[in-house]
Amino acid sequence: MDKNLPGDSTPPRPKWRKVAYGGMQIGYDDNYTDETFLEEMVMNANVVRRDLLKAMKDSVSISQYLSIVALVVLVWFHTLESSLDEHSLLLLDLSLLALGFLVLLLTEEKMLSFTLLCRYLVNITFFTTGLYILAPVYQTLTRSISSDSIWAVTVCLLLLHLFLHDYSGSTIRAPGALLKSPSLTSCISVNASIVASVFVASRLPSRGHVFAVMLFSLQVFLFAPLVAYCIKKFSVGLHLGFSFALMGLTMYSVYVLHRLFFVLFLVLVVVVNVVCPYWLIRMQEYKFEINGPWDEAKLCFDITD
Amino acid sequence: MAEPKLRVLMVSDFFFPNFGGVENHIYYLSQCLLKLGHKVVVMTHAYGNRTGVRYMTGGLKVYYVPWRPFAMQNTFPTVYGTLPIVRTILIRERITVVHGHQAFSTLCHEALMHARTMGYRVVFTDHSLYGFADVGSIHMNKVLQFSLADIDQAICVSHTSKENTVLRSGLPPAKVFMIPNAVDTAMFRPADVRPSADVVITIVVISRLVYRKGADLLVEVIPEVCRLYPNVRFVVGGDGPKHVRLEEMREKHSLQDRVEMLGAVPHSRVRSVLVTGHIFLNSSLTEAFCIAILEAASCGLLTVSTRVGGVPEVLPDDMVVLAEPDPDDMVRAIEKAISILPSINPEEMHNRMKKLYSWQDVAKRTEIVYDRALKCSNRNLLERLSRFLSCGAWAGKVFCMVMIIDYLLWRLLQLLQPDDDIEEAPDINFLH
Repeated sequence: MDKNLPGDSTPPRPKWRKVAYGGMQIGYDDNYTDETFLEEMVMNANVVRRDLLKAMKDSVSISQYLSIVALVVLVWFHTLESSLDEHSLLLLDLSLLALGFLVLLLTEEKMLSFTLLCRYLVNITFFTTGLYILAPVYQTLTRSISSDSIWAVTVCLLLLHLFLHDYSGSTIRAPGALLKSPSLTSCISVNASIVASVFVASRLPSRGHVFAVMLFSLQVFLFAPLVAYCIKKFSVGLHLGFSFALMGLTMYSVYVLHRLFFVLFLVLVVVVNVVCPYWLIRMQEYKFEINGPWDEAKLCFDITD
Repeated sequence: MAEPKLRVLMVSDFFFPNFGGVENHIYYLSQCLLKLGHKVVVMTHAYGNRTGVRYMTGGLKVYYVPWRPFAMQNTFPTVYGTLPIVRTILIRERITVVHGHQAFSTLCHEALMHARTMGYRVVFTDHSLYGFADVGSIHMNKVLQFSLADIDQAICVSHTSKENTVLRSGLPPAKVFMIPNAVDTAMFRPADVRPSADVVITIVVISRLVYRKGADLLVEVIPEVCRLYPNVRFVVGGDGPKHVRLEEMREKHSLQDRVEMLGAVPHSRVRSVLVTGHIFLNSSLTEAFCIAILEAASCGLLTVSTRVGGVPEVLPDDMVVLAEPDPDDMVRAIEKAISILPSINPEEMHNRMKKLYSWQDVAKRTEIVYDRALKCSNRNLLERLSRFLSCGAWAGKVFCMVMIIDYLLWRLLQLLQPDDDIEEAPDINFLH
């Protein structure tokens, strides 16, 4: 600026100040915009840069659970087709229970005490007995409703279950784990899956079938997320291996059942594990955050105490 | 009788009998513009059974249009519902400039849109700050962008507010003027006999007790200051959801005799509460301007305030102690304020405030903005539509549709009730 050079006829005007008092500043209109305008604006200050590999790794949890649900549906299908009898189903239930229990035991940091073990056994006994007594009720629950409606509702409930499922944690907590109340959506999700199991069980021919299928579904829907969560917490490598094994098993079983379903499932897994993470990373560059002195101040202490 | 220079219509949902910064601003600005020889008409929504036309001091005509507020003193947004009555008022009062106030007043946005459709010059004053991060803000910012896309001039109450408005609306900065609020120094004058600060120092807080006004900060700061200074007492005026928390704090620290809770203080009594104190404490978390500080300073109180929004611009550095909005820093600021308190002369501070802020000055500066608005070239509908179209891929098209329909409705109204059929109101000058 050459306004202060000697010989300049206009007197040097006072420096503009960013103040509101004292009326209109001499030499400056009210719409004067200084170079300091928007100087304090900060862009994208809190943006977290994500990388593709991590996003893909995290998405494995989702496809793992998709496989689990697909396997449950396969078991339902085979039971309804009578290609799985109730004895092998009960055997499956027992082995799953034992396996799950073993995983919990092995991944737990502290050793289980004898009393806790007894409590587990008592709980399981109560649970199975209750289910066995209620089996006849489940069997006749929806007799007056047509099968088509039941299938339609079951599919909807399963979709709701998948949509609201808590993929990052587990709705059911291990005993002694830090109690953080599960969110409403994950509770709705668990309930949707249980209702879907009851509906499917009510189409089965015998009381034994109903009991076996109900036990199986409840075991998987309630405890599979917990087991998967424990494995993931224990070791990420094991988690990935377990997930890929499950996905492989599911793909094989679906392939045997129907080609079209296999293709659909494959596409779904690819979308979840590759396309969506890539898309997320691509969209990061459109992130545009503006902060400045006009933002509401955040309190640096907890106000709920 | 002399013809008024300009005929201004002030539009906002917020007006007397409601009380607040915007209401005050409109009232005082209108009064001063009337004195400058303009004609001013105010349009707001009905308050209780207060509907129709009322006259206030100095012949300020107020239209309380019969629309009920539905939430937070706002009328229900109908987009086109207010077109007939806005058109009638504009023609009846032979308005030349329409001046809308406050970004979250629906009545203001609708009136500005109709006025633009009918080819009137419009000016808008933004009194608040908005963030950019949450859904509510994003929606409000889009509405503001629509309203300001075709505006002639805009006014903001502080430089920070101007930066905020420019970012939110995408207006060129040269179109946005900074004209602050002011204070009625005749009303807010220091006490004739100031209570001595030697024995007891009184700290006054007057604000709504809500989260945004930093009531939670008060809960942390007050006990700490009381612990450090046995001769300090607090007077807290105002009511709100955080009232209970303050009461709890008072009981927990046994400060019943040192923290006085007054409950809601009507605006007419604010001065009498302020003059009982020595220091005014403002704990807002966000503030575009903060008139409360001006009122306190005009009463000769030293101000301690959080450094948020436009607050640092409001007072010269020797009249205010600023602190970051965290309890420790605020306690330090209060310590500093107590240490410089003996050097404060309320009478002198009051006289300085008289020079720093006056509504006459605000009115004169606003007059300049009106003149600029009148000098803007008036564009036809097609030229204006292109401005709306540039507001966004989807929003632009929606905005255009809204404007086209408004234009068609206006033409239809002209057919149903030609402009000539609307009787013009006579200008009555109450000042002579």
